[in-house]
Amino acid sequence: MNRIKLLFFAAIRDRAGAKSIEMDIPSDMTILQLKEKLGADYPNLKESMKSVLVAVNREYAFDEAVVPSNAEIALFPPVSGGQ
Amino acid sequence: MSQFPTIYSITESEIDLNDLLTKITLTSTGAAAIFTGMVRGITSRGDAHETEYLEYESYVPMAEAKMKQVADEIREKWPVVEGIAIVQRVGKLYPKTPTVLIACTAAHRDTGVFDAARYGIDRLKEIVPVWKKEVGPNGEEWIEGDYIPKPGE
Repeated sequence: MNRIKLLFFAAIRDRAGAKSIEMDIPSDMTILQLKEKLGADYPNLKESMKSVLVAVNREYAFDEAVVPSNAEIALFPPVSGGQ
Repeated sequence: MSQFPTIYSITESEIDLNDLLTKITLTSTGAAAIFTGMVRGITSRGDAHETEYLEYESYVPMAEAKMKQVADEIREKWPVVEGIAIVQRVGKLYPKTPTVLIACTAAHRDTGVFDAARYGIDRLKEIVPVWKKEVGPNGEEWIEGDYIPKPGE
């Protein structure tokens, strides 16, 4: 198992009801699997997981990537637009 | 050209244009293109509405790293650019308050320096993790963008 720290921002944080959580995940878990797990564990986040952006150690990360150990994972909505 | 000044920060303080401009002006500088965005109190384009204030937040360490990346991209595309300042203010900000500033300097104005600043603000709104919640007479709402970064961004 890997211990990871998850940070939530903006609307995702409001829906999660927490700024950050720590969790243990299997060492071969991918970003996609992590999003599926969060959607299952936190029903309020299920809808958000479709468009959420994920950063691993402050770099954007994508579905197929395996979550590294001791990683700082951030989940947030697409960044603010505006014209 | 690492001797050129590059400033990038997330701040809770007022954005001081004169101070930033001084820091990115060299003896060889003859032009600066500056973009600043402010809180708009009355929106008439599209979904017309009023705004009481915006509440900005950021994932600060990643945002500052991505601002540096934007500056690096500007230098790659416009090697003539001398100084670059990129500053995003966060917190509760009221109409007319500047929230973001990007400034690029160069020796002359016909060097692409306008395009460089334009690229900077467009890119900031794609990849720098900053969000805003809009609060108005009809309640509050998170404003979300639609850009999905690609691998390597």
